[in-house]
Amino acid sequence: MKAIVASTLLLCTFVLATGDLQCSHTEPLYLTNPRWDDMVDPCVNVMRKQIKTELNAAMQYLAMGAHFSKDVVNRPGFAKMFFESASEERQHAIKLISYLLMRGELVSDVSSLIDTRALFEKINWTKWESGLSALKNALTLEALVTKDIKNVIEVCEGHTNKKRQNQEEVNDYHLVDYLTGEFLEEQYKGQRDLAGKVSTLSKFMTDHGDLGEFLFDKKLLKGDL
Amino acid sequence: MKAFVVFAVLFVAVYAADDTCYKKFDGICSGTTAKSPLPVDLSTCTASYGHIDVVLRHLIGFANSHIVRSMEYLLMSTYYGNYQKNRAGFEKLFRDLSDAKWDHAIELIKHVTTRGGSMKFTPPDFLNTEEPNVYEGYEIQSIAKALDKEKQLALEAFKVHNEASRRTDGKHDPEISSYIEEEFVHHQAKNIRKLAGYVTDLKSMLSGPDGSLSLFLFDEYLKGQ
Repeated sequence: MKAIVASTLLLCTFVLATGDLQCSHTEPLYLTNPRWDDMVDPCVNVMRKQIKTELNAAMQYLAMGAHFSKDVVNRPGFAKMFFESASEERQHAIKLISYLLMRGELVSDVSSLIDTRALFEKINWTKWESGLSALKNALTLEALVTKDIKNVIEVCEGHTNKKRQNQEEVNDYHLVDYLTGEFLEEQYKGQRDLAGKVSTLSKFMTDHGDLGEFLFDKKLLKGDL
Repeated sequence: MKAFVVFAVLFVAVYAADDTCYKKFDGICSGTTAKSPLPVDLSTCTASYGHIDVVLRHLIGFANSHIVRSMEYLLMSTYYGNYQKNRAGFEKLFRDLSDAKWDHAIELIKHVTTRGGSMKFTPPDFLNTEEPNVYEGYEIQSIAKALDKEKQLALEAFKVHNEASRRTDGKHDPEISSYIEEEFVHHQAKNIRKLAGYVTDLKSMLSGPDGSLSLFLFDEYLKGQ
């Protein structure tokens, strides 16, 4: 906070040597009873963590897209699919952010929502043996994200709070419904799609490895699969 | 006839050089039906040519910078979307910037691989030197911050361009310089000009008596951009 004040003062003096610049205007804080912004901390925190998880997945998909774009790998169809997945994961993070904003959250401590350095460090895989191994990897990644979303649901339903004593039981009905209805729905559909692709490609690989992957790639590129 | 001679000379020159891709397969595929072992070293059969190596390093760094900036703009956008700031126009401005940086990052990764490179995801050096960013600021501060970031990216584009234009050293890569010119420098200039203009507007309006009203109206203006 001190830093903000200091930098504001500094900026104001720099920008306008003459006259006064009014950067801030008092922001009245009105608290209702009961609170309208009624999300509880454990739920908010686990949501914040989920935003990081989605962005980590986006970065992992970027690395997959980069690998399959290489001249010595040459699988543009796979690359296209993974780059699209990367942008999708980023959109999921943005959807979660928008939800928190809608519920009156993220008024402070916004800067720690994303750790940019950690995004780079959390890329776990950068090389794949084959298209099939990357598809399997993607399916695992999605399963992990799904598991995390289910955990968010549990926390926000108040399940974990129950275990602790003297903790108020709070069920965040709306968020739980949103996550269950929209997020999990998308996760399960996406996973089914990936699992199907893994099966189809696996069947090729037994007898027609390189040719199978080549054809599969061109189909992915055209959006036939 | 002349053309034929030139062609023949060129052909002989290429054929004679040992480091051609063709040479690797010469002799292997010479009319025999028996299988021959694949050449071990296929480094001349990649997409890289000229002095792309040095330029690629900068291009990779440029892509990583875009990823970081995209995340930072997302945080700035998030902050202006909360109910206390409630500046939908600023939220949109930073969100658009975030989206653009993300899309450019993907395009840059693709271009690295177009030129035979391999993308490396490493946090940019400026993360070590820049003071930790605080995204909860006042409107004019945030615009100023965005202006700084845009200039830094523009200079990085110049750096890549410079590496690709060192004709005297024999390190000349017109494909990269043209790519940087067409895809980056022009719209960077426009962006920078736009943000500098916003600083000018806000600076004068905020020194008047109607600061808070000015910010409201300016935000409405941004919403329509």
